[in-house]
Amino acid sequence: MRPDERDLDEEIRGHLAISVAQRIERGENPETARLNALREFGYVPAMRESMRRVWYSRWFDATAALGQDIRVAFRSLKRAKGLALTVIVTLALGIGANAAIFSVVRGVLLRPLANRDEARLIYIRQSAPGIAAANMTFSVPEVRDFKSRITTISAFGDFSTVGFTMVGVGEPRIVQAGVVSGSFFEVMGLRPVLGRLLNGGDDGLNAPGAAVLTHRFWTKSLNSDPSVIGRTINLGPRSATIIGVLEPSVPYPADTEIIANIVTSPHHMGATMVGMRTHRMTELFGRLAPGATLKSARAELTAVHASMLSEHPESYPAKADMQLSATPLRDQITAPARTVLLVLLAAAGVVFIIACSNVANLILARSVRREGELWVRAALGAGPGALRRTLLAESLVLCGAGAVLGVLLARPLVAIVARYASRFSVHALDITVDGSVLWVGVALAMAAAVLLAFVPRLPSPHAPTGLGLASGGVRITPATNRRLRVFATAQIALSFVLLAGAGMLVATLIALQSASTGLETRRVLALDVPSATGDMSDKSIAFYQELTRRVGELPGVDGVAVGSFVPWRDAGSFGPGIPFSVEGYTPEAGEDNPRARFRIVSPGFFPVMGLPLVAGRNFTTEDRRGNDRVVIVSQSVAQRLFANGDALNRQMSWNDPYMGNQQYRIVGVVADVDDENIVAKPALTVYHSFQQIGVGGRVFVRTARDPYALVMPIRQIVRELSPNQPVERAATLEDVRAEVLSPDRLNAFVISGFAGVAVLIAVVGVAGVLAFSVSARVREFGVRLAIGSTPQSLLLGVLSEGAVIVSIGIIAGAVCGYAFSGVASHYLASFRLPGLLPMLGAAAVLASAAVLASLMPAARASRVDVLQALRSE
Amino acid sequence: MAKTPDDKDEKRLEILQGTLDMLILRTLLWGPQHGHGIGQAIASQSDDLLKVETGSLYPALHRIEKRGWLKSEWGVSEANQKAKYYRLTAAGKAQLSRERDRWSQLVAVMGRIMNPAQAGKE
Repeated sequence: MRPDERDLDEEIRGHLAISVAQRIERGENPETARLNALREFGYVPAMRESMRRVWYSRWFDATAALGQDIRVAFRSLKRAKGLALTVIVTLALGIGANAAIFSVVRGVLLRPLANRDEARLIYIRQSAPGIAAANMTFSVPEVRDFKSRITTISAFGDFSTVGFTMVGVGEPRIVQAGVVSGSFFEVMGLRPVLGRLLNGGDDGLNAPGAAVLTHRFWTKSLNSDPSVIGRTINLGPRSATIIGVLEPSVPYPADTEIIANIVTSPHHMGATMVGMRTHRMTELFGRLAPGATLKSARAELTAVHASMLSEHPESYPAKADMQLSATPLRDQITAPARTVLLVLLAAAGVVFIIACSNVANLILARSVRREGELWVRAALGAGPGALRRTLLAESLVLCGAGAVLGVLLARPLVAIVARYASRFSVHALDITVDGSVLWVGVALAMAAAVLLAFVPRLPSPHAPTGLGLASGGVRITPATNRRLRVFATAQIALSFVLLAGAGMLVATLIALQSASTGLETRRVLALDVPSATGDMSDKSIAFYQELTRRVGELPGVDGVAVGSFVPWRDAGSFGPGIPFSVEGYTPEAGEDNPRARFRIVSPGFFPVMGLPLVAGRNFTTEDRRGNDRVVIVSQSVAQRLFANGDALNRQMSWNDPYMGNQQYRIVGVVADVDDENIVAKPALTVYHSFQQIGVGGRVFVRTARDPYALVMPIRQIVRELSPNQPVERAATLEDVRAEVLSPDRLNAFVISGFAGVAVLIAVVGVAGVLAFSVSARVREFGVRLAIGSTPQSLLLGVLSEGAVIVSIGIIAGAVCGYAFSGVASHYLASFRLPGLLPMLGAAAVLASAAVLASLMPAARASRVDVLQALRSE
Repeated sequence: MAKTPDDKDEKRLEILQGTLDMLILRTLLWGPQHGHGIGQAIASQSDDLLKVETGSLYPALHRIEKRGWLKSEWGVSEANQKAKYYRLTAAGKAQLSRERDRWSQLVAVMGRIMNPAQAGKE
C-alpha cells in the first residue's frame, strides 16, 4: 500500500470517529450512530478511486490521452493500409530474419561442445603449404617425439581412420572406423552413455580387440539396442568386443561408426606404421597441462617441430615447407561454418538496416504530410506535448505491430535456417529461437518508434501560420526532402552491395555447374554394390563379371563397368593419394615421391564414362590374375613424369608397403579426369585392372534411356545372383554432382533471397519518396503545365529524379562494397570480389526496378489537373 | 495544457472546483480544521442548504493541498481522536481573494443579465 493510502485510511477513520462522537452527544445510541456515520460518509472505494486520480493526476492524464491517441492512430492507419502494411511487413522481416540468423550463429559458433573442459582441448595439425597439402597428419614416430618432449600438453590423443569390413552387428559391410590409443577418450573428455570407453588397458599388442560405437551409429543403425554391449564383431581378419557407446558429440576429425583400439588394425601394428616417419595418417589432439596456455603450448610445439625438421631432414623436404599449428578444438570444428554464417549475419544486418531506414522514410513522409493537421491542432490550443503524443501513438502502433509480427515469424525462420546450417555444422540441429536477440530487435523497433516521433518539426507558436494553416496542405522544406532522399539513396546503396554479393555467388555456382568434367554425366547411372565381405577372391570377381554380363543384356543398356570410386561422391574416402615411383623418373633431392589416386576399373569403364584413350590400349578380359600385371595412367602422369609423355611399357610400383611391391607395366594413357573435385585440376591417377585386384563395389551403367528406370531390373539381377547383396545409392553422375554442389546452391539461394528482399524494400522506398515529392509539388506541376510544359517533360523530370537517386545509390554502394571487401578479405580467406558481370547485372536489375517503381508517381505528375492544382492552395 | 473537453471526470470536478475550493478556503480562514469540521462548517454556514459530500470533499482537499494552497498536519480532535488538520497557506489566502473577486464579478454580471430592469435603474 502506498503511504498516501495509509494516510487516507487514517483520515477516514478520524472523520468517522468524530462523526460518531457527535451523534452520540446528540443522543443517538452508539450502534445507530456508527451506521449513520458510515451512511453519511458514502461509498469509500469510490472516494478512494477519485483520490488516486488526484494523487496520480499527471499519469492518469498522460496514459488516458495516449490511449486515446493510439485509438485515433489505429483509425487513421486503417485509411492508409498500404503504408501501414509496408511498414509492418518490412519491420517484421527485418526483426524476424535477424533473430533467426543470430540464433543460429550463436548456437553454432558459441555453444559449448560436449567435451569436458573444452577450452583446454586443442587440435594439432601439420600442413605443407609448399605442396598445397592443408593437412599432412602425423606419423607414429612424430607423435612419439611430441609425447616425449612436450611439457605444456599433459596428454595426447591420436586418431586415424581405417575402413573395416564389419560383420556381427547390422548388415555386413564396410565401415569407417577410428583407431585410437587408450588416451584418446580421456584427452577428448568424452563419456560413455553405455558400457565403458577405451582406456590405457586397451593399449599394447596383447590386449583383446575392443570397439566403442558412436552414438549416431548405435541409434540410427542399431535402434539403440543395449544388448550389443559384449557382442563380438569381426573387423576384417581380427575380432573385437563391443565395450560401450559414446555420448553424442561432434564427430571430429572423421564421422566414423565405431572407434576401436590399435590391436584391431593389423596395419597399425606393422613396421611401416610404427617406424616410418613419412607414413602419416594420424590426427593429433592434446590437453593443455595445468598452468600452460595455448600460446605457450604453441611456442613449445613449434620449437619441437623445428628440431624434428633439423634432425630428420630426409623426412621433411624443404620444398614442402612443413608447418605446425595448434587451435582450440572448438575453433577447428566451427571453422567451416564460420565463413558462411558470418556472411549470412552481414546480409541479415544489411537487410535490417534497409528495413529500418525504409520504415523511417515512410513514417517521416507521413508525419511531414500531417504537418498541416498539426498546425490546425496547435492553433486550437494543443500543446507541443499533445502533438508529439499524436505522432508517437502512430509510430508506436506501426513499429509495435511490426515487432509482434517479427517475433511470430522468428520461430519458423529459425527452423528453416537451422536446417540449412546443419549442412555445415552438426551443432545446428537443435537450435531454438534466441530470445535475447529477439528482444533486442523489438527494443530497437520501439526505440525507432520513439525517435521517429521526434523527427517532424512542430508548429512553433511564434512562427506565422500563413497559408499552410488555411489549406491544411503539405509544406515541405528542402531539409525534409533531402533527408528522405538520403535514406532512399542509402537503401539503394546497401541493396546494391547485397545484390552484387548474390550475383557473385550465382556466377560462381554457374561456373561450377557448367565446369567441364570430362565425363559423361547425364547418361551414366552409378550404384554402390559393396562387396559383401570386401574380399579379393576369385569368387567375388566372378560375381561382378556375371553381374556386368547380365546387366549388359538389359534393353537400352549401352555399357556396364565395375569401378571402385564414384566420382565426387566418394571424394576424400581414399585419402590424399599413395606415393609411387616409375621407371625413368627420380624425384629431386629432398622431394617426395609423387602421389597418385588408386582406382580399380573393369575394361568397360573408360567407354562407359566417355574417357578417351590417349595412347596405348584399354584393359581387356585377358588382364586377369596370372597374366602380366598392367596399369593405365592418366595423361597428367604421362606428361609430368615421362619425357614427351612417353609412358607406354614403362614400369611403375607403389611405394606403400601396404600395396605390395609388385611392378606394373603401363599399357595405356587415358584422358585426365578429376573425380575428387567439382572444379577439375590435373590429377595423377593410376588405374588397375579389376580382374587382377578385385575389390570393386561400384557399378556404372550407361544408357540412352531414362537411367533410373534401370534401377529395379539391376536390383533384381543382383538379388538373383546373391540374395543378401545390398544395392545402394543409385544416382546419375549428374545428380551426384548436383548433390555435392547443393551447399553452394543453398548459399546462393539464401543470399539471393536476402538481396531480393532488400531490393524490394529499397524500390518501395524510392517509389515512396518520389510519390511523396510529387504529391507535395502538385501546385508546382500545375503552374508548369499552365505555362506550357508538356506532360511528357514532367514525367521525364520525375523519372530522372528517381534515376539520380538510384545512380548515386549504386555508386555509393560500389564504393562501400569495395571498402567492405577490404575488411572482409581480412577475415574471410575465401573472400573474392565479384566480377564485373555480376556487378553490372546487379546495377541493371536495381536501376530498372527503381525506374519502374518511379513510373507510377511520374505518371501521376504528368496527369495533374491544372485548374484543380492551382486552386488547391 | 488545455483540458480535452471529453474528459468527463475532469469536467465534473471542475464544476465543483469552482465553488467548492473557494468554500473550503473561506472556511479555513477562521483557523485550521479537519475534514469533518470543514464539511460541518459549510453546512452550518449555509443553514444546511449546501451539503458537501465526503466523496468530493477529500479529493478536493488533497488537490488543493497539492497546489500549495493548504498545508496538512496530524493533530488530535475535540473527541480525542487522531485527525488531519488543514491550514491555509499564504498562497491559499491570495487564491481565496482572487476567487472571491471573480465570484463577485460573476454574481454581478449574472445579476445584470438575469435582472436587466434593476440594472437599468441603478
